Amino acid sequence: MMHAEHLIAQAREGDTAAQGKLVQAWYKRIYNFTFKFFYDHDMAMEVSQKTFIAMHRNLGALNDTARFKSWLYTIAVNCCREELRKKKNSRAVSLHDFRPGEAEESYRWEVSAERNENPENLLRQSELADLLQTCLMQLSEEQREVVIMKEYEGLKFREIAEALQISENTVKSRMYYGLEALKHMLERKRITKETIGYEL
Amino acid sequence: MNYKPDEATLVSFLYGELSGEELRQVEEYLQKNPDERKRLEEWSFTRSTLSSLADKEVIAPPIFLEGSPRTTPFWKESYFRLPLGIAASFLFMIVTAKIMGLSLRYSGNELRIGFGATESKQEVPAVTREQVGEMINQSLQQNNHVLQASWNEDRTMLQKSIQKNLASASGKIDKLVKTASSANQEQVKRFVNQMQNENLKLMKDYMQLSATGQKEYIESLLVDFSKYLQEQRKQDIQLFQAKVNSVESNTNQFKQETEQILTSLIANTGTTNQRRN
Repeated sequence: MMHAEHLIAQAREGDTAAQGKLVQAWYKRIYNFTFKFFYDHDMAMEVSQKTFIAMHRNLGALNDTARFKSWLYTIAVNCCREELRKKKNSRAVSLHDFRPGEAEESYRWEVSAERNENPENLLRQSELADLLQTCLMQLSEEQREVVIMKEYEGLKFREIAEALQISENTVKSRMYYGLEALKHMLERKRITKETIGYEL
Repeated sequence: MNYKPDEATLVSFLYGELSGEELRQVEEYLQKNPDERKRLEEWSFTRSTLSSLADKEVIAPPIFLEGSPRTTPFWKESYFRLPLGIAASFLFMIVTAKIMGLSLRYSGNELRIGFGATESKQEVPAVTREQVGEMINQSLQQNNHVLQASWNEDRTMLQKSIQKNLASASGKIDKLVKTASSANQEQVKRFVNQMQNENLKLMKDYMQLSATGQKEYIESLLVDFSKYLQEQRKQDIQLFQAKVNSVESNTNQFKQETEQILTSLIANTGTTNQRRN
């Protein structure tokens, strides 16, 4: 932790090597956050890059290095919202919006994970991941931000509140309704303990 | 004690972010309320299902970061550059106008732009409305005269042409009538005879041709008819023969039956006589 704070302090002072290390350390987290938010690789890459460029420009304004994590997520969320606004205003439809049919999703097989893994399990996990991502996309923008930050990024409610610049109670309320909505969506899709319990 | 945790407290409990007295109270509440406990268990299941969505592996692309952010000088800022540009454009226009001797003049709804020394233009007196009317009338009268003269000339030329054509046509007709009347009666008779002969010959040929055709047709018709008759006769004979055969067989059968009946009658009469005796 001390090491991380030292790195952030160095980066704040304009050390490009330290800034590079920060990017390397946080890129995966920010990419995965934006990917789950958009469910689009290209958008996630673009927003991640914008986030780190904004981080570089504004790092000097960060007073408390201990709040770097929530500060970085604030930038990421703002970039996500900006992209979402642009996407809503633009009439163009991305080819990624047309989800391929199951038979066409051959790329799943191309992403070879472990050779020893059971292909049937791999397919099930991949289908479940797709389904969960679809459920996340059905949440409202505000609920989605909170759910991803809490469930996948492991932020505390206080950190989420700081990142989104809202009260902790509002964060918890959004989480509550987000979880309820997800629960109902999973029930509608017959994802219960009995049906997939053995896979988890 | 009717403690009931709110949404925020339940969510905090679910994520293990409660401590102390509050945690104890929620635990007690859940022990007493199995429905709420079940709900939390369902949320836990939802959370564990969500954890199936794993992170994607990604390699950070090279992001080229500048050194310390540079401070741009004030003359490069947009708020300074725009007015400076406008002022420079005005200055350039003024200097160019001075060098080229540009002069602008506006008088009587007229804007004049000139370069160098400008000449004052003589004002041409305007034409009055009456003069314009007179000019139009004169022009119209002249046009009428010219048109009238042109019509007269065309009419005389047309009359001359018609007279000339009539004269030449009547001469030709007279000539044709004279030629026709000069032909004598003998020539007419000869022509008529020739026509009659040709007609006669044509009629003969036609009749001959027609007679031959009719003869051939009748011959073929007769042949066909005789064949038909022959065939019919053959069929009649066959039919007749079949009938005769049938009658013959019937007669034979009748004969046999009669014989049988007679035999049985005789036999019956013999036996009755014997019984009587």
